[in-house]
Amino acid sequence: MGFADDHQWSQRHLSHYVEGDLSHRARSRLDRHARDCAECGRGLRAMRALARLVRGLDGLAPVRAPGTIFDRIRPAGAGGSPAPQTV
Amino acid sequence: MTKTEVTDTEASLLARAQAGDIDAFEQLSGAYADRLFMLLLRLLGNPEEAGEVAQEVMLRAWQGIPRFQGRSSYFTWLYRIAVNEANRALERRARRPASVSIGPDELDLPTPRTDDPARQAENNELRRTLADALAMLPPPLRTAIVLRDVEGFSTQEAAEIAGVTPAAFKSRLHQARLQVRAAIGDDALIAVGG
Repeated sequence: MGFADDHQWSQRHLSHYVEGDLSHRARSRLDRHARDCAECGRGLRAMRALARLVRGLDGLAPVRAPGTIFDRIRPAGAGGSPAPQTV
Repeated sequence: MTKTEVTDTEASLLARAQAGDIDAFEQLSGAYADRLFMLLLRLLGNPEEAGEVAQEVMLRAWQGIPRFQGRSSYFTWLYRIAVNEANRALERRARRPASVSIGPDELDLPTPRTDDPARQAENNELRRTLADALAMLPPPLRTAIVLRDVEGFSTQEAAEIAGVTPAAFKSRLHQARLQVRAAIGDDALIAVGG
């Protein structure tokens, strides 16, 4: 396999690498290629950064559900059994 | 309260809700209401629409709870209904001429503390770009990245909520990350998050 093949394959598997989804052999292949390929090395750093940034969205201040969340079940459901409908 | 007591309480509420006790249903589901609303907000990006869909989720859950068989946790089941309803809402929205995107105010990224105005401006720009990139994803890909990367579910849990196999879920997740990475650009990601 040549550099170009490894490059295309690596670009497609950067997320798999970060996720820990690659086999030991595949991980070594990407490691080897990224050492010699600036673009893939940068791509790996970018993918890690992306994972951290998106994870950071979970650090938002808590949001409260509106008090109306059960409003639609009260008129039809109050005092009776749930209607047998498909979910 | 121990975990066992919590589980017993949920089991008891579930049994009562399945027997038609609406108060038990509200107590059971209300425990997850805030988290569920936050998920809808992340998927839909619009508080008003998220509130409307949350009502629909609770209606569907109430209607469906007699048939809930406990193959998954109640929370997972409820979340799955929420993802389905969010996707329906997104499909309806796609058919409308003017779509509402996820704005940076709704998908707010934590901003690294900095006194450098230029750096602050870069961070704000990245927040907007990330919000836009997530909003542009097709609903199944957006759901994947929100469940796994934002909400932090395991692949198994997230796949169950999304209603697909773990392999299919992973495929969506990787596609989503690649598309968001391409939209933002490696240099911008590394500059702020690397």
